[in-house]
Amino acid sequence: MEESVGSLQQGNHPLSKKLKKILDTRLDNDKDMIEALKTVSTFFTDNNIRTRRNLRGEIERRSLLINQQFVDAFSHVVKDLELIHADVQSMTVCCKDMTDRLSATKEQTQELITMTSDLKSEEQRLQVHSDLAQAFLDRFQLKPNEMKVFHGTRDGHLDPGFFAVLEKVQKIHADVKVLLRTNQQTAGLEIMEQMALQQESAYERLYRWSQSQCRSLTSDAIDITPIQQQAMKALQNRPVLFSYTLDEYSTARRGAVVRGFIDALTRGIPSGPPGSPTLESEKKIQGPKPIELHAHDPMRYVGDMLAWLHQASASEKENITQLLSECEKSTEDANRDTLAHVLEGACRPLKVRVEQVLVSEPGTLTLYKLTNLLKFYHDTIRDIIGKACENISLLETINDMYILCRKLFFNSLQYLASKLLDKVELPPSDLSPPRTLNDTIHLLRDIFDSHDSSILPAAERHTDLVQVMTQVLDPLLQMCAMSASQLQPADMAAYVINCMHSIKFMLSLYEFTDQKIEMLSAQIDAHLDTLVNEQAASILMRGGLANVYKTILKHEHDTGPLSKLAGLDRSAMTSAFQHFDDVIHSPDESVLPQVSMLASATLKEVASSRANELVSSAYKVVYDVFTNEKNGYDSATFTVKTPDQIRLLLC
Amino acid sequence: MAAGPYNYSYIFKYIIIGDMGVGKSCLLHQFTEKKFMADCPHTIGVEFGTRIIEVSGQKIKLQIWDTAGQERFRAVTRSYYRGAAGALMVYDITRRSTYNHLSSWLTDARNLTNPNTVIFLIGNKGDLDAQRDVTYEEAKQFADENGLLFLEASAKTGDNVEDVFLETAKKIFQNIQDGSLDLNAAESGVQHKPSARPGQTLNNEQQPKDSNCSC
Ligand SMILES: Nc1nc2c(ncn2[C@@H]2O[C@H](COP(=O)(O)OP(=O)(O)OP(=O)(O)O)[C@@H](O)[C@H]2O)c(=O)[nH]1
Ligand SMILES: [Mg+2]
Repeated sequence: MEESVGSLQQGNHPLSKKLKKILDTRLDNDKDMIEALKTVSTFFTDNNIRTRRNLRGEIERRSLLINQQFVDAFSHVVKDLELIHADVQSMTVCCKDMTDRLSATKEQTQELITMTSDLKSEEQRLQVHSDLAQAFLDRFQLKPNEMKVFHGTRDGHLDPGFFAVLEKVQKIHADVKVLLRTNQQTAGLEIMEQMALQQESAYERLYRWSQSQCRSLTSDAIDITPIQQQAMKALQNRPVLFSYTLDEYSTARRGAVVRGFIDALTRGIPSGPPGSPTLESEKKIQGPKPIELHAHDPMRYVGDMLAWLHQASASEKENITQLLSECEKSTEDANRDTLAHVLEGACRPLKVRVEQVLVSEPGTLTLYKLTNLLKFYHDTIRDIIGKACENISLLETINDMYILCRKLFFNSLQYLASKLLDKVELPPSDLSPPRTLNDTIHLLRDIFDSHDSSILPAAERHTDLVQVMTQVLDPLLQMCAMSASQLQPADMAAYVINCMHSIKFMLSLYEFTDQKIEMLSAQIDAHLDTLVNEQAASILMRGGLANVYKTILKHEHDTGPLSKLAGLDRSAMTSAFQHFDDVIHSPDESVLPQVSMLASATLKEVASSRANELVSSAYKVVYDVFTNEKNGYDSATFTVKTPDQIRLLLC
Repeated sequence: MAAGPYNYSYIFKYIIIGDMGVGKSCLLHQFTEKKFMADCPHTIGVEFGTRIIEVSGQKIKLQIWDTAGQERFRAVTRSYYRGAAGALMVYDITRRSTYNHLSSWLTDARNLTNPNTVIFLIGNKGDLDAQRDVTYEEAKQFADENGLLFLEASAKTGDNVEDVFLETAKKIFQNIQDGSLDLNAAESGVQHKPSARPGQTLNNEQQPKDSNCSC
């Protein structure tokens, strides 16, 4: 078999070829074939010879038919394509046309575009210019609304924004100098001038506003608004306007202070600031009476007036400080001067009233107290007004009053002193100090006491005292001496001692009197010596020892026995001793009346003991003489008391 | 201070009285400066302080006069009672004598002020409770009997200090509102600032008419 196959393969026999082809056919794999067969099977239903013969024709006929259908179908497509082609054709024409037109337009707009971009850059340039100009204006000119604030309305309203604008004007005025250094000098100069004008008119307006504000500050209680403070701050740049405004202020306040003062003096109620709901309720007045109701009491009257002014000074000071609190430059002087002016009006009413009190002769002591009171308030108000307060009229007035009052006080003392010497009284029979002396001492005490409890600081307290003391004490002592001049020495001594002692006692209560006390003590001692001598002499005299003692003293230096001398014989001596012994047992009886009239118990004591001292030493002299053998008294036969015994008895 | 110490509608005048050393000046200082002055010298005559407070929505300026307690100033300080709307009467709770003198201070206060003056009794140095010499109860009774407001306070710690000043102002303000205090009496110690303040407008035309009357 293989050989035959091999021979078949090798052979080119058409049949074999065909066969081979058929054999090679894989029907199940050949899709076309299967498809073709399927199609054939649709119409090749009867497999017979005839149909087999016709199959080809049939297939061809079918094929023809199908092709025919194709042709028909494609002829439609062709038609459509042709239509499309026509459309495209016309579109092309159209496009061409448009392109032509576009390019034409493009050519035309080219020009416009260049123009526009030119304009655009022009615009930018202009914008920059405009910005610059605006910035320039912002910097160097006022805006309309600022102008409005600046110039205000007809009713004089001052907008709080005013000061910001004023500041701006000032800044522009300063900044504009920069322009002068550039090539914008004309503009610079113009703006400068413009701003200067603006400034002046603004200050003018501010001044008028402030002035009228100040003018209205006439009520008792005022309130300084922040806007007023700012106004004062701004006006400080124009010293003249500033000081005019302050003048206006102080005039208004001065009126208010005077009115308030007069009301407090006379009415006790305020006049009511203008515009306040006043007077309809005036009937309900309560509280303290008007100050003048106390006019009969000088201390209270003057004190109340000065206290009122002190309080007014403090309030007004505060007001002014408030008014000027925003000011940048120092306002110390303005502050003080304004306050001085405000208070000035009260000077006259005060002066008139105080003078009235002073000339009504209120008495030495009251004058003295008033002097202190005036000094006290002078210093108190001065402390409020502040340092360097020369030329403050209120202070000057109070000081004048003080000087006047002090002068009247010393005049009054002077008068008192001269009256002491005018009419010197005779000493009373009991040698006590005379009434005038007591009165004077009493007055001095009052003065010193009120001085001691003075409202003035301690340092100032004692300045006047020496003067007061000398001015009164010297004539007083003189008066004592004069009134004592007619007296016996013992009377005189006792009297003068009594006078001086009562003065000294009074002085000893005060600390500033040491010197005077020392002087008085020395004088008292001198007079006391007189009295002591008198007293001793009197005892010796009464005791009969006086003559013996005197004779002994005369013959102190004799050498012979004293018993031989006349008056010193034994019997004279023994009788003297006997007599003295009697007297010495009742020593009180031998006290001089002058000594017992000494007002001071101590001095009385001192006088007695010193007199006794003298007596016992005199006794000792006589005793020594008597007991001395050489004098030949034969003393052993006569018992005498020893000096020690006598001393004991006397004490 | 910066926040506008101005623009107040009333001024009330106060006076502080009492024996020397009870702490009057310290109370004032504590109230105005919020500080305690440990070694405060004796007051000479009369001293002055102010502060603005608010009562019932009203700004009130207190003008306070601190008097010297030393006897030698009595005559001087009496001149300052005139026109006080409030009187703060101070004693020292550690010193009985200062309490015993109250009746004399009260007599002065009654005689020299007006019937509407609000008198506030203050027992000062409340911080020194250990040394207390006057009980709260007896002082309270004294205050009640005499129709006085009363608090114990301490100028040192600041206790109740604010209260006494404010309570006094409240009472005064109340008196104004119920009409028992007449503002127009100068001696009421109250000054009312007209609310239609001439503040910010010029009215040159109107002014003279009102003020003409003064001689
Ligand atoms: N512990 C204590 N001490 C106080 C208090 N208040 C005042 N002091 C002291 O008391 C002393 C007197 O106080 P001042 O305020 O000077 O007394 P004053 O009442 O003003 O005295 P005069 O001015 O003389 O009338 C001072 O040394 C104060 O330190 C307080 O609340 N507590
Ligand atoms: Mg004090």
